[in-house]
Amino acid sequence: MKKYLTTASLLFASALLVGGPALAQQGITDTEIVIGDVEPLTGPPALLGVAASIGHKIAIAEANSAGGINGRKIKYVLEDDGYVTARTIQGAKKVIEVDKAFAMLGMSGSGQSIAVMPVLEKSGIPTVIDVAPVKFLWEPARKNVFVVGQSYEEGIIHLVNYLAEKNPGKKWGLITQDDDYGITVRDGFDSVVKAKKLNVVYSGNYKKGQQDFSSDMLQLKDSGAEVFLAGGIIAENIAMMKELEKLNVKPVTGIFWPGRIEPVLKLMGPAGDGIYAVDYVEPFAGEAGKAFLEKAKPLVSEAELKGINRYTMTGYAAAKVLIAAIERCGKRPTWACTISELENTKNVETGVMAPISFGPGVRFSNQKLQIMQADAATLSFKPVK
Amino acid sequence: MRTGDYKQTYGELVALVDSPPVWLWSAVAVAALIVAPYALNAYALSFVTIILITVVGTLGLNILTGYTGLISLGHVGFLVTGAYGYAVLVSKYQMHPLVGFLGAGVVPAIASLIVGAPSLRLKGLYLAITTLAFSFIINTVILEARTLTNGARGIPVQRPEIFGISFDSDTAFTWLCLGVAILTLFATLNIRRSRVGRAFVAIRDNDTAARVMGINLHAYKLLAFVTSAFITGISGALYGIYLSFVSVEGFPFLLSIEALAILIVGGLGSALGTVLGTVLIVLLPEATRLVFSLFSAQMDALFSTGAQELKSMLYGLVIILFLRFQPRGLVGLWHDIRRTWVHWPLRY
Repeated sequence: MKKYLTTASLLFASALLVGGPALAQQGITDTEIVIGDVEPLTGPPALLGVAASIGHKIAIAEANSAGGINGRKIKYVLEDDGYVTARTIQGAKKVIEVDKAFAMLGMSGSGQSIAVMPVLEKSGIPTVIDVAPVKFLWEPARKNVFVVGQSYEEGIIHLVNYLAEKNPGKKWGLITQDDDYGITVRDGFDSVVKAKKLNVVYSGNYKKGQQDFSSDMLQLKDSGAEVFLAGGIIAENIAMMKELEKLNVKPVTGIFWPGRIEPVLKLMGPAGDGIYAVDYVEPFAGEAGKAFLEKAKPLVSEAELKGINRYTMTGYAAAKVLIAAIERCGKRPTWACTISELENTKNVETGVMAPISFGPGVRFSNQKLQIMQADAATLSFKPVK
Repeated sequence: MRTGDYKQTYGELVALVDSPPVWLWSAVAVAALIVAPYALNAYALSFVTIILITVVGTLGLNILTGYTGLISLGHVGFLVTGAYGYAVLVSKYQMHPLVGFLGAGVVPAIASLIVGAPSLRLKGLYLAITTLAFSFIINTVILEARTLTNGARGIPVQRPEIFGISFDSDTAFTWLCLGVAILTLFATLNIRRSRVGRAFVAIRDNDTAARVMGINLHAYKLLAFVTSAFITGISGALYGIYLSFVSVEGFPFLLSIEALAILIVGGLGSALGTVLGTVLIVLLPEATRLVFSLFSAQMDALFSTGAQELKSMLYGLVIILFLRFQPRGLVGLWHDIRRTWVHWPLRY
């Protein structure tokens, strides 16, 4: 009797050890693994949310066409938050609690990502954020949350340094939005101004949603600024460049990556020719960008192909890193293993940005930046050598 | 035979509820809400929490718009001021959460005096535009007062711990919201049946007649603004804690419109209507999604990826339908059902 009991206990214990964790882990069946995402898919910020989700879809379709993750097909669950913070929280809770996602991607804008952080931390779900890299997301480092990208501050410092070296002794102008993004741009700019003792002759601030920049640009012209940092996002930068064209002035202009999308150049027309931009993803006009578009063609619909922009690349890279980490966990991936493998991510090539690495206590990939310049003739951004 | 629902004493007229079964049903509803966190997952529970927070805010608006007849399009201004009042006191100056809640009420109440003053001369559309302007001005003030509010960077807010009780878990936080919602409901019901409440209603129905009766219009209109803003501010604090991060972006103008939609759908001037309207408006998109998902998985996906556009359409549709077919709102519908039940088979 004792022998039988011992054998039964051993069998039970081995069953628990072998099959237990995999069975207990949510979002995984024998044939499927669920990856969740919350993005702004409606309203003006949909331009970034839809593009990022297309990037996730491309990476997932690519993995699924290669047989999935160790034989399991990836199911992608996407929720719209409309860029409303309360709905980002609810969307994340739905994806985790109702759809039982195994891992998360994306996570909407910067304010939304910050607000949803307690939900992600409490649940412990492995998450790779790719849309809005802000310091709060990785400082302090959270065990289960990883961020692919580069900080806004570093981006703006890189751009201003480059423009300052190319245009020594010139007069500078800056305009920023009256929100978190604008403050970050201004802080980055100010740090270079101090270090390089730049001569700033115009410093403006506009209200989010402002459409008319005629008086701001007139002031910029009157100030005699020769190098101009346009701190708008999309519509604002277009309006500023059009206004400068009307005033017949063409300062050396720099823009930041949230506005570095190809349709902007079409709307700017000749006024956008030659503007500088900074980014950590490859431009579509480069070899890597072209290769990415070719890869995307058979994997997404015609409509989705039209929605591709730089955020598609950030989404693609994040999804690739997450899928690779889950894959390395073998047949029975768990949250603990996925988090550990994400931490072990070392120089993962995605083809759309510099290799991605994390490390023990390092949850931010700190991507390499590059400067690019707009070419109005081909409506593209080209890398500056 | 019973021929009607007559109030025969003054006590009956000012009673909180008019029959014992109402107490019973209310107790059952509260008990269900207390055990809800044990029966619901985090997603479903988030709806309960949002409903409770919204009930507090819309009860606040109901005092101003429902009882007193003063239309406010800028109540989100009081909501955001309340959230900042709490966040600044508790997160920045490490004060006790109860002091934070007090601040969350007092700061918007003071702000309401500024917007309330023009209401002494303005009515209707003019007042609505004034309150709308206030909500934009308050956002600019918050963004500019960086030393106090962190400007556009916002303030992270932790879940509170009050007298050793932690409200960190979703369950505990829902109970906190439930407690505040019950207190607010009792407060507004009591205001309505008091001398002050009757003065508010008199102003709403005919302010000239109210003045002739000796009601001080200036004092009572301002009191309505202050009371409404105080309650809305408390709701703002709860909303800020729920978001865990208070920033101007977290309080879009759409919240003001949603609150007005709740009052219209629920029934203007009724506390019960406010509660019913909140439940309907908050749950409508999710309920619609559930119904459609029974027919097709594609419809479910459509609600997930186009949720916000569909929500806006649903809200619009519901408001139009209620204004056309049931202008007294859900509470009017409830009264009709109750009357039919009592008088059946007679029509009246």
